[in-house]
Amino acid sequence: MNSSMRASLFITCYNDTLFPETGRAVVRLLERLGVQVEFRPAQTCCGQMHANTGFRGEAFSQAKRFIKLYVDTEAVVIPSSSCVAMIRDQYPGLVSELGNASLQQDFDALLPRVFELSEFLIDKLRVEDVGAYFPHRVTYHASCHGLRALHLGDRPLRLLKRVRGLELANLENLDRCCGFGGTFSVKNAEVSSAMLTTKLQDVMATRAEFCTALDNSCLMHLGGALHREFAAMRTIHMAEILASTETTVAEARA
Amino acid sequence: MTGSRQAVMDRIRAGLGGVVEDGAGRSASLKRDYRQHGTLDAEKKIALLIERLHEYDAEVAECAEPELPATIAAQIARSGRRVLVAPSGLPAAWLVKGADWRVDHELTHAQIEEAEGVVTASFCGVADSGTIVLHHSPSEGRRVLTLLPDWHLCVLRTRDVVETLPEYFARCAEPPRLATYISGPSATADIEMTRIKGVHGPRFLSVVLVRDDG
Amino acid sequence: MSAPAQHPILDPAAAPPFPAAALPVLRNAQLRKNVAHATDVIQGKRNRLVAEKTDWTELRESASAIRAHTLEHLGEYLAEFEERCTLAGGVVHWAADAGEAREIILRILQEEKADEVIKIKTMTSAEIQLNPFLRQNGVRAYETDLAEIILQLGEDEPSHVVVPALHVNRAQVREIFARTMNLPELSDDPQALTAAARTYLRKMFLTVPTAISGANYLIAETGGVAIVESEGNGRMCLTLPRTMITLAGIEKVIPRFRDLEVMLQVLARSATGERMNPYTSLWTGVTPGDGPQHFHVVLLDNGRSAMLRREMERQTLKCIRCGACMNTCPVYRQTGGHAYGSVYPGPIGAILTPQLQKLEHAQTLPYASSLCGACYDVCPVKINIPEVLIDLRAQVTEKERAEDRRFFDPIYVGMRVANWVFASAGRFRLAQRAARLGLRLFTRKDGWIHALPGVGGRWTMTRDLRGLPQQTFREWWAKERGR
Repeated sequence: MNSSMRASLFITCYNDTLFPETGRAVVRLLERLGVQVEFRPAQTCCGQMHANTGFRGEAFSQAKRFIKLYVDTEAVVIPSSSCVAMIRDQYPGLVSELGNASLQQDFDALLPRVFELSEFLIDKLRVEDVGAYFPHRVTYHASCHGLRALHLGDRPLRLLKRVRGLELANLENLDRCCGFGGTFSVKNAEVSSAMLTTKLQDVMATRAEFCTALDNSCLMHLGGALHREFAAMRTIHMAEILASTETTVAEARA
Repeated sequence: MTGSRQAVMDRIRAGLGGVVEDGAGRSASLKRDYRQHGTLDAEKKIALLIERLHEYDAEVAECAEPELPATIAAQIARSGRRVLVAPSGLPAAWLVKGADWRVDHELTHAQIEEAEGVVTASFCGVADSGTIVLHHSPSEGRRVLTLLPDWHLCVLRTRDVVETLPEYFARCAEPPRLATYISGPSATADIEMTRIKGVHGPRFLSVVLVRDDG
Repeated sequence: MSAPAQHPILDPAAAPPFPAAALPVLRNAQLRKNVAHATDVIQGKRNRLVAEKTDWTELRESASAIRAHTLEHLGEYLAEFEERCTLAGGVVHWAADAGEAREIILRILQEEKADEVIKIKTMTSAEIQLNPFLRQNGVRAYETDLAEIILQLGEDEPSHVVVPALHVNRAQVREIFARTMNLPELSDDPQALTAAARTYLRKMFLTVPTAISGANYLIAETGGVAIVESEGNGRMCLTLPRTMITLAGIEKVIPRFRDLEVMLQVLARSATGERMNPYTSLWTGVTPGDGPQHFHVVLLDNGRSAMLRREMERQTLKCIRCGACMNTCPVYRQTGGHAYGSVYPGPIGAILTPQLQKLEHAQTLPYASSLCGACYDVCPVKINIPEVLIDLRAQVTEKERAEDRRFFDPIYVGMRVANWVFASAGRFRLAQRAARLGLRLFTRKDGWIHALPGVGGRWTMTRDLRGLPQQTFREWWAKERGR
């Protein structure tokens, strides 16, 4: 393990506001693994919401902000698959359309240093056993972006399998979307809800105590429905599970 | 020709930037890393073809060249069919006794429709997908012959069996003017995805495999 | 209870917006069950057969390359097809739009003095709304594909490009056939239903002298046409009539005969989960003594050429209509095809229809997706559907934001404000605090928000939202790490 590794934590806009425990967990986890973590308060948003809703002009400004802010970092770690997918799949088009040579250069240099959390752990730190302890039955929901855009493959499961005390419950139809889709969830609220209901049936069938994922957007969607249905199951970002040890319990609230 | 040829062509050329390059023919140089050639030995290739044919309920009989007429006769007898049509170029030896043959010298659709079956040769077979290829040569018959009768007996020689679809295309010195690839009997799954055999085409396919590859 | 049956509108100019069109389906439990069952079955078969194909990735790569190459040289390949088809005895017509295509086809039928015509399933003819037009002009069109018969006799519309009646179950088919074919004793066994259709059509095949088909592929090298099918109704229509008319979009051309070795392999596996379709027919112009002696091809533009300019949009035309994207789409699974208000439903429809409509209609379709990416994963010609959806959303937004009425649209206001906020960390911090204060009003004692006004209410109609925590991450960081 590289103990001198430095990483800059990018906390997605709504995670910062709604799910601060995810960010805290990533800090705890990475520091425990010997990474020097920094956070740049100038950060705001990656621009995904704007881009995916059709506000391309606005997405340009967020992309520029992001690139300029992190150009000098050793690594950027993002505990949110869809934001990483935004940067990998959509930034190239946006940046080349802007036609700014120095921005292009900065972006090309930065891109290989942007990591989703499980990628950072497994590909960069080369660690599967992060020394976590989480004595609960847990099911893993693969977010669409993690699965099909980032091709995370079995990385998340490899990490979970090494968590002591954790009992992994298999989720049927793992590759099926939960119906969140950002503004889709309000623009097509009824269809989104129908998709959520279908997903929830599979999630509930696992009889897990926790449903985890690498993206709080899916978890906000699933968690919102679980709460509405008075279900006992709760959602928890994987960073919190991986940050938990025998001495520190997960902050999982609500 | 009618309609807006020039208008459509102009729009296409405008869309593609007005550049008229000679692209035709270059498609040959596109990347083709898929499986072109089979890897099975002759025996396994034939076994695969038979397995595929059985998967879609085709009947398969094997024989050596000298036994072919007898095998055709036996298959006809087994099928219980009598009135059969035959393409004009079908080898005379295949017009076996025991059937009422109507050789296709300009048979009408109604006459073909009355027949209970048809016997033809074939261009080749593709083991991988269980496909029978007809190029509608004089021994394979015009298309309607293998369409209206409910039972199709098709003779296929093992030397004409290839393993992969690309191998069939490689065998075509010239693209055929007409072709029919049969990979199963007429079927539908339009009602609740339940597979039902025999909608319009022949409901029964019987293949006689002639072992002629040594 | 099922919602009362409504006749689906597949004319994008008249169809309601997607979210509204989806509502009656979401309330129709039977229809959703039919759609889920059918798509599960096809997708299962497709996945098994793709998994067994060791060279699937390479085939897909080649299929995509062939289609992309063809589109880049579309004019040349169409000219080559026209030349070869004409040499072989066919007559090639060019239709700039739907109206012209309809007129060309009607004129051919009138020259043949036809008052009846048999048809092979063709989505392109549904695109130009051919059947009602022919009817108005004294020609009855008879569909011959089993699914299309179900729809035609049931006065319904297609909801899928490969299995157009997948939303109808056997009991409903029985009811339609019993009523329209006058068979009160008919059972709902698919075998019996199929037999009824066979009998119903047999005489028609043998007597109607004109036929209309679509095309899976037009082969530039030979001037030939290829059609794949399962039932044999296609072969009947291609072989028995005196006159044959093929209607095909200009994008249907492929360069060479040999390209079929790729296209047929990917199409069958993707469309129906078979190694090869039961029947593939290939014919070239007119062959003396075999099949129709009069053959016409109508090449239809109808908005396609306008999609060639940008590579982003052009990739849409690579589509080979296999329907794999609909079978895997979690949105289609809930809504079926009619909600898309077009003969082209599902993810491909969501990008194709708005472009064919030059974004004058169907503007809600690019938003009819959660961008989950499952469609791109299965597409045999690698159309990056999510990427095109996002591009079209940007085009729709560009168009809409010029309209005054959009200025106060909550989503537009929200996006403008968010952009202003995200441009500065200071503003973002203030906005976080404002949101915390504002949402406190709606947060219950359990710490959750159960109901929100306005756009937020679209969320809380089925989902709660956790109340905002007392401390944002950046506040925690500033406090703990002192910066």
